[in-house]
Amino acid sequence: MSRLWRAWVALLDRREPGTSLALFRIGVGLCVLLTIGSVVHAHLVGVIWVSADHGGGYRSMTDNWLVQALGGATPAVIGRLVVASLAGGVLLTVGLGGRVVALLTLQTTLAVTDVNGQAAGSYDLVLTNALWLLVLADSTATLSVDCRLSTGAWTSERRVPVWPRYLVIFQLFLMYWTTGLQKVAAEWTPAGGFSALYYILQQPTWQRFDMSWVAWIYPLTQVGTAVTWAWELGAPLLLLAYFWRYTADRPGRLRAWANRVDLRSWYALLGVAFHVLVTIPMNIGPFSAICLACYPCLFTPDEVRRFVGRFRPDRVKAGRSQGRSA
Amino acid sequence: MPDQAPPRSSRAWPQIRAVLVALHVLAITLVALPAPDGGMNRAAWKDPTVQHEIHAWSARLDGLGVQIPPAELEEDAWHFAKRFMAVRHAVLRPFRRYYQFAGTWQSWRMFVAPHRYPARLQIAVRAGSAWQTVYERGDPQATWRRRQLDHDRMRAQIFRLSWPGYGGTYARFTLWIARAAAHDFPYASQVRVRFFKYRTRSPAEVRAGVPVQGRWILARTRDLQRFR
Repeated sequence: MSRLWRAWVALLDRREPGTSLALFRIGVGLCVLLTIGSVVHAHLVGVIWVSADHGGGYRSMTDNWLVQALGGATPAVIGRLVVASLAGGVLLTVGLGGRVVALLTLQTTLAVTDVNGQAAGSYDLVLTNALWLLVLADSTATLSVDCRLSTGAWTSERRVPVWPRYLVIFQLFLMYWTTGLQKVAAEWTPAGGFSALYYILQQPTWQRFDMSWVAWIYPLTQVGTAVTWAWELGAPLLLLAYFWRYTADRPGRLRAWANRVDLRSWYALLGVAFHVLVTIPMNIGPFSAICLACYPCLFTPDEVRRFVGRFRPDRVKAGRSQGRSA
Repeated sequence: MPDQAPPRSSRAWPQIRAVLVALHVLAITLVALPAPDGGMNRAAWKDPTVQHEIHAWSARLDGLGVQIPPAELEEDAWHFAKRFMAVRHAVLRPFRRYYQFAGTWQSWRMFVAPHRYPARLQIAVRAGSAWQTVYERGDPQATWRRRQLDHDRMRAQIFRLSWPGYGGTYARFTLWIARAAAHDFPYASQVRVRFFKYRTRSPAEVRAGVPVQGRWILARTRDLQRFR
């Protein structure tokens, strides 16, 4: 037991450059702007977040402690919280103010999204969990105004604790896995003919447009259902892939194979495909964007930089001329 | 590659941090584990989608040699769910403040089951003796206040309104619609809000051209004069 505990303490003591966490911060900041900004754009702030008792839409809003402490869901209180949340989104994106800004953004965003639980979605939970992890993380060490102010440069190699990045990975695992565990309806399984995706696409709540045409490509939706179900239930493989990478020096064919094919990258690639494909026909709000904002944390800063480097204009140009000469 | 932190003056901090991170992992894992939270409304269990699921499970168990009629299965499931939720409530109690203040609630019941009997919102105003549909979900010709009503947060709200247990909210929602309609349609005398509840067609039914079958529910008509 004490060996396990020492390994746990040592794992949490690791450090690395802050690139992955910085990209996570930028993504989450943009998602705050998208989540709150879309409500402002639709002229819905007064309708869904201001209490009917104070001239708002149609409900008495009483759920959040901060809103209560500020005097209730009045137009003035909600208006200030919305502005503060949007300002927090901007500051997070540019990386000014570090953990304090992350905490203020979390509390103001939590306040408005919490006040009417009936006009909320799972994306609110992903967002607030991500914001809390930004409170715990040193996410402005690089690619931030904070970095520019302290070092004179936009980027820095300063090493930051890795454990908040590990918590983002665990959060993604937990979300995908428990989502899969709760898909108990027959339609998700062979017993229901893997028909879940087809029928979900027929629900007016999510449709962007009429989806009856998918009846003609029904087998494809069955494949989509099976892959989604397996991918979510298979989320423990993601943790296992990280364990195998962490213990790469140990023997074992399966470990060696998983590290060689990079199981983690394949899982992430399927995740990107899943989120993009789900967002095209279905209006699920900013859910996919917030989940994908967490994805840079699946990789080390070196891997992220190698990946981004592939798209640098000079590299792309070099690649094209190589292709032409070949 | 990550490396270890340099030695620091406080030897206690790494241990304290390890405890706190372990508590975070424990807290979010416990609250994320599957539970019928949000489904503990017995009236909602009478919805055709839920009944369809209960009948399917009864048939499945029957196939495995366990004979439980749907009504009995529903009753057993309800009592089990109540006991389970009581235990869950007690287990999560020490962490509630953490979930509340840190925003770390976990509720990942996403697309648990397809809603086979969905409901589509329709809003119409009355001009003279004729009803004019001004909004209908998915109808490109009836797009009144579409930016608001089609917003994902409003859809989440509207989705709930057709389920049992939301009668009070629905009544106030129709009041909000009436206020907006009175403003936007000065010529109209009444507004009617209702849902078309139907069974989604199977792929074979769609391909065969079988028409959608359903019925109008929760119709509420309001005079607009009092909102002007």
